[in-house]
Amino acid sequence: MKELRMILRKEFIHIIRDRITLLLVLAMPVALVLLFGFTISTDIHNARIAVLDHSKDTQSQAFVRKLSSSNYFQVVSYPNTETEIDFQFKENNIKLAIIIPQNFENELENEHNATIQVIDDVSDLNIASILNNYVRSVVQDFQNEYNQTSTLGESFSITTKMKYNPNMESVYMFVPGIITLIMILVTALMSSITLAREKETGTMRMLFITPVKKIYVVIGKVIPYMIISFLSTIVIIIISVFVFKMPLNGSILFLLLLCIIFMLTAASFGMLISTISTTQLDAMMITMMGLFLPTVLLSGFLFPLNSMPMIFQILANIFPAKWFILAIKDVMIKGSGFFDVWPYLTILFGMAVIFISISLKMLDKRN
Amino acid sequence: MNSIEVEHLTKKFGDFIAVNDISFQVKEGEIFGFLGANGAGKTTAIKMMSGLLQPTSGTAMVAGYDVITQSKLIKRNIGYMSQRFSLYNDLTVFENMQLFGTIYKIPRRELKDRIMDSLARLDMTKQANLLVNSIPLGWKQKLAFATAILHKPKIVFLDEPTSGVDPIVRREFWNLIYETASTGVTILVTTHYMDEAEYCHRISIMADGVIRLLGTPEELKKQVGVNTINDVFVEYVKH
Repeated sequence: MKELRMILRKEFIHIIRDRITLLLVLAMPVALVLLFGFTISTDIHNARIAVLDHSKDTQSQAFVRKLSSSNYFQVVSYPNTETEIDFQFKENNIKLAIIIPQNFENELENEHNATIQVIDDVSDLNIASILNNYVRSVVQDFQNEYNQTSTLGESFSITTKMKYNPNMESVYMFVPGIITLIMILVTALMSSITLAREKETGTMRMLFITPVKKIYVVIGKVIPYMIISFLSTIVIIIISVFVFKMPLNGSILFLLLLCIIFMLTAASFGMLISTISTTQLDAMMITMMGLFLPTVLLSGFLFPLNSMPMIFQILANIFPAKWFILAIKDVMIKGSGFFDVWPYLTILFGMAVIFISISLKMLDKRN
Repeated sequence: MNSIEVEHLTKKFGDFIAVNDISFQVKEGEIFGFLGANGAGKTTAIKMMSGLLQPTSGTAMVAGYDVITQSKLIKRNIGYMSQRFSLYNDLTVFENMQLFGTIYKIPRRELKDRIMDSLARLDMTKQANLLVNSIPLGWKQKLAFATAILHKPKIVFLDEPTSGVDPIVRREFWNLIYETASTGVTILVTTHYMDEAEYCHRISIMADGVIRLLGTPEELKKQVGVNTINDVFVEYVKH
């Protein structure tokens, strides 16, 4: 045990004396979370739109008021012709235009079948489809209110309740993703690199020739990075809850336990990588290609898994990130507890056990 | 008494025979030169003797323990210093020695005394808190040697300990080796400097996995009929 403590101490000295890496490891989580939070947000506020109102009656004006009072839109112009709309699009002045036909009120009240036309700038597909959804939800609101006040009454109305993420905030998606990336970068990448570095410099051989248990050497190298990435995770959670208003509905202790289990999985993957690689470059490339890329692409963090070809959906199952993101989202957003997410936990834990036992086997092959 | 007894030791990697049926003994307190060209099988032999690598066949007793079944005990009783400098560059001199001393389970208080003692002997007391990175190569090598004998091993393996250092430091280094051997520690040293081979009590010359020659430097020179070990080496590695 004293040997393990000594190796841990040595590892912390390595980390502290390597200023640049230390700074990187500590600053990266904060930088990533702020970067994603402020820039890669898929929420749109106050999109500039134009409204061409041919009716100019009570109902059409009520609808326009509804549009501009929503947070989504800012009506910047009221053109009189469609050519003017085209011009505005070309000038890049607006992202979307709405045309209300003549007799809007009349059609609404007598035929229950009013139509409006929406023109999107689809040069950016994502923005267009998000804005379209916003229009739809404003229309629905408008419809519901109209139905309530209408004396005639409506045969039916649709009420959509956005559960768990009522404002469709993208922060709910990227926080679990960033926690995952940080844990993989710090735990798996850093520990596999430092293990490979000892192989490269020959100090590993020096250690293995001593009577110290090999497992101590490996654990001693992995634990400090687990501690660092655990602290980073806490920082990310604090920033996302207090700066980006991410909900934390589940138990915080359970959330941290979940993170620890995922960290163990990531660390065990790092161990496995370091046993098969002999140089730092090897370790880095294998972690990047074998773990980091699949995590970004196949975890459902940036790209929805459901819309991928079957083969990738199946492939995604063998990487730990997918399971962790599923679990952490449930815990943070839905407030799930152990009994809801235990299958994910079991998978992550099982992966850790498998990776650790393979790497111990490989370490034991004396060579 | 023999501290190393090697009998028919063989190591095969697939079809390649790295070490082919070697046998020799090294006496306690002896300085044994383990010579051979690059790739002759020296490092593989040392790895087997230090319990890092399982032999394919044959046996070896090191410090009285069997390399096949008692590698753990062997590790406790040997010291090792490699051709590549292998202390941690970003730790201080003291921290390096403390790390390895602790791994060998030297009690804390005693460890501190031993470290200060050996630093005093190397005349490096003032450098105790310098990063290893910042001290010259020759000093690093001496420091690595001092670290390798900190736990008072019975046998020390030195794998090209002096490669890359200047003649003065090499002389000092050999003085350290002599000093250590005189306390009964067995030294097995590999080197490519033939003048150093002359300092050894006995030497063996390996080529293609087998020991071609073994004896005192004088015996070998007489046997081959040349004046220096350098000539002996060139003659024997050539064939």
